[in-house]
Amino acid sequence: MATKWKIITDSTADLPEELVKELDITVVPLKVIFGQEETFYDRINLMPEEFYEKLREADQMPTTSQPSPHEFETVYRKLHEESEAGTKLVSLHLSSQLSGTYQAAQIAADQLSEEGLDIKVVDTKRASCAVGIIVKELAQMVQAGVSPSTCEERLQELLEKTEVYFIVDTLEFLQKNGRIGKASALLGSLLKMKPILSLTADGEVYPLEKVRGRKKALQRLGEILREKYGTQPVETAISHAEVFEQADSVLATAKENVEVVSVMKSSIGPVIGAHVGPGALAIAVAPAKNN
Amino acid sequence: MTETTVDGSMLRSMFIQGANNLGNNVDRVDALNVFPVPDGDTGTNMNLTVVSGVKEIQQLHSANAGQVAKSFSKGLLMGARGNSGVILSQLFRGFSKPLADANELDSKQLAKAFETSVDTAYQAVMKPVEGTILTVAKDAAKAAKKAAKKETSIKEMLHAVVAEANASLERTPDLLPVLKEVGVVDSGGQGLVHVYEGMLAAARGEEVTEASSQLSMDEHVQLTHHQNAQSQLSAEDIEFGYCTEVMVRFEDSKLEQHPYNEEGFREELGQYGDSLLVVSDEDLLKIHIHAEEPGEILSLSQRFGELVNIKIENMREQHSALTGEKAAPAAKPSPVAEKAEQVKEQKPFAVVTVAMGDGIYDLFKGLGADVVIEGGQTMNPSTEDIVRAIQETNAEQVFVLPNNGNIVMAAEQAAEVSEQQVQVIATKSVPQGLAAMFAFEPERTTAENEEAMKEGLTLVTTGQVTHAVRDTTIEGHSIKEGDFMGICESEIVSSGQSVTDVAERLVQAMVQEDTEIVTILTGADAKEENTSYLVDYIEKEYDDVEVEVHAGKQPLYDYILASE
Repeated sequence: MATKWKIITDSTADLPEELVKELDITVVPLKVIFGQEETFYDRINLMPEEFYEKLREADQMPTTSQPSPHEFETVYRKLHEESEAGTKLVSLHLSSQLSGTYQAAQIAADQLSEEGLDIKVVDTKRASCAVGIIVKELAQMVQAGVSPSTCEERLQELLEKTEVYFIVDTLEFLQKNGRIGKASALLGSLLKMKPILSLTADGEVYPLEKVRGRKKALQRLGEILREKYGTQPVETAISHAEVFEQADSVLATAKENVEVVSVMKSSIGPVIGAHVGPGALAIAVAPAKNN
Repeated sequence: MTETTVDGSMLRSMFIQGANNLGNNVDRVDALNVFPVPDGDTGTNMNLTVVSGVKEIQQLHSANAGQVAKSFSKGLLMGARGNSGVILSQLFRGFSKPLADANELDSKQLAKAFETSVDTAYQAVMKPVEGTILTVAKDAAKAAKKAAKKETSIKEMLHAVVAEANASLERTPDLLPVLKEVGVVDSGGQGLVHVYEGMLAAARGEEVTEASSQLSMDEHVQLTHHQNAQSQLSAEDIEFGYCTEVMVRFEDSKLEQHPYNEEGFREELGQYGDSLLVVSDEDLLKIHIHAEEPGEILSLSQRFGELVNIKIENMREQHSALTGEKAAPAAKPSPVAEKAEQVKEQKPFAVVTVAMGDGIYDLFKGLGADVVIEGGQTMNPSTEDIVRAIQETNAEQVFVLPNNGNIVMAAEQAAEVSEQQVQVIATKSVPQGLAAMFAFEPERTTAENEEAMKEGLTLVTTGQVTHAVRDTTIEGHSIKEGDFMGICESEIVSSGQSVTDVAERLVQAMVQEDTEIVTILTGADAKEENTSYLVDYIEKEYDDVEVEVHAGKQPLYDYILASE
């Protein structure tokens, strides 16, 4: 029976650097590939700002690739060795509908469990800062010494109730990378739009709303939040692809409509950025912990 | 028919002559349109509406008065075009109500029919406006009632109706200030007076024939083809393959051998095809027919004179070309378009809309509209056209976006007649229609969609640039024929000879502090340099506004603008 959790995630959780250090979270990087040979490790040797600059100059869309099972195995083994006895490795990843990362982690975990390692791999069915907010919540509880059973309860609540909304500038990136999901219905329109996208309970992209113009998108987002969370206090996280002002106005909109108890701000990293494109923005909302 | 009663055959000829008299005066009624824009003209719309009623009663041979009225009303209802056409159809629907199966009518019954006609029409209009066809009908019905109290002669009673209708028509400018400003009487009211006059003439035993010189052949041909384009599903369904138009100049020598009789000739040609139109005056004979053997038509026509003009078109070829072109997606094949084709069988929701211009057609299709009826400003679709489009969707719930103020009532009438669940979202312009369409989500419930679409259309302001079809002074603008006019919603805000100047001032009226996007739909005649000038102007003048340009390719309107 585990006495303690150790939190692991991947680079698509779009967590701020300081928080990763502060909460002792292990982040496994995905890869971004420009052209044929240029391979970068997400947020290791390619930071968000460098990525968007490269994206502007690149004549080809970058591709991304998940960590191999072997890479996960190496990380898990190392963490197991460093941790005190009774530590359970809890590895939280982006939606298996969008990436093979979860699968790779699961393969590694299955192999290592034969050697007696205690590893739990979780398909959060979310992406970007929505994974980030779940990871942050749990890492804070672990640091505060909360028992694994309480952490487990909170994890289940977060998996069920964390939502993420994306406002993208264009559907082009999602489409080219095959992550468009149910939002493909929007492609026929010749009119420019700012779709508000979300993830289904299964973790697939779907269009929540199609809106024309940023202001209307913001207004609609506020209404959606109010309808969804009412007076319940919420934790929020905002990630954006170099649209600082817009991130601030989204945050302001959220604060006007729901009771925000915390905000985590970060950039959308290279891997998620390659799929949503520059100008995209994500806000994740999770119910605050009952104290 | 006696002096004091109207039987079925008399009522039938009253209706036919009423229709003929209106038909002979179409141009006069059209000229009364208040706005000098090339719009769905009242006279044309009302005429096409009554023509549909006449077609219906021409199929009745022996019938009582009640049946004639009912059948006329049915024809009008389905053929109704434009708001005045719809009101006219409602007037005659009300007219037929109290008659039931009455064999013949006396003056009191006839007066009662006029009264119920007014009640029905008022009920059908959401916000009745005085100084229009409604007022004329109301005053005329009152006169009918008064006359019927002491008068048993039908002629005398109808005489009182016509006299009061005319007097009421003259008073319309006192009730509707815009009429006074422009210096006209109400066009719909004028149309109704012409119908009543024709009815009186019939009662007096006078003959009002269709005067060919007044009747526009082109209009009828256009109308027939329009209906066909809507109804033909595939080239194989076309029974008569050649659209044949012949113009003959009568020759006395030939006429001696073959005396010409329009009615007889029409019957003769009727055996060779459909969509038949025969129009003649003293010198010329014009024929339009869809026939399988156009050669026969030429020979038959040639008996009366010299062939002046011949046009024969293969409609099966045309149809394939037309549908082929429409089926091909505008740019690259999108998965959505293919999917839409596949799910055309029974789906929960569909949208029917009305638009002109290939580019606007594509915009609506791209947003998921199922059927785009070709029509709009110059060709208002009839109730029947809309009903047919609704049926074609084969969906449980159909939304109709009329996109023109003058089509709203026909759409509402179609919703009533249709067997499917139909909701009319009363869009009065293309931008409103696009905004409503944009808000549509097939995944939502009917009520949610209705609400979202109705809200959607309020978020957009419409601007249109067109040219004046005649001189006028309206809303303080003195406008010359051929001038450009900028119309914001329904108000003329600018006019002049420079299209860019007119468009610029229109934009100033449209853009508000919170405007984010201005969409420009360029017309078929819009010049590229003018469009880019306009784009530059908006971008320079309004920092926060994004400009989106689409080639709408609509006729008559150089620019349709939307600000949101």
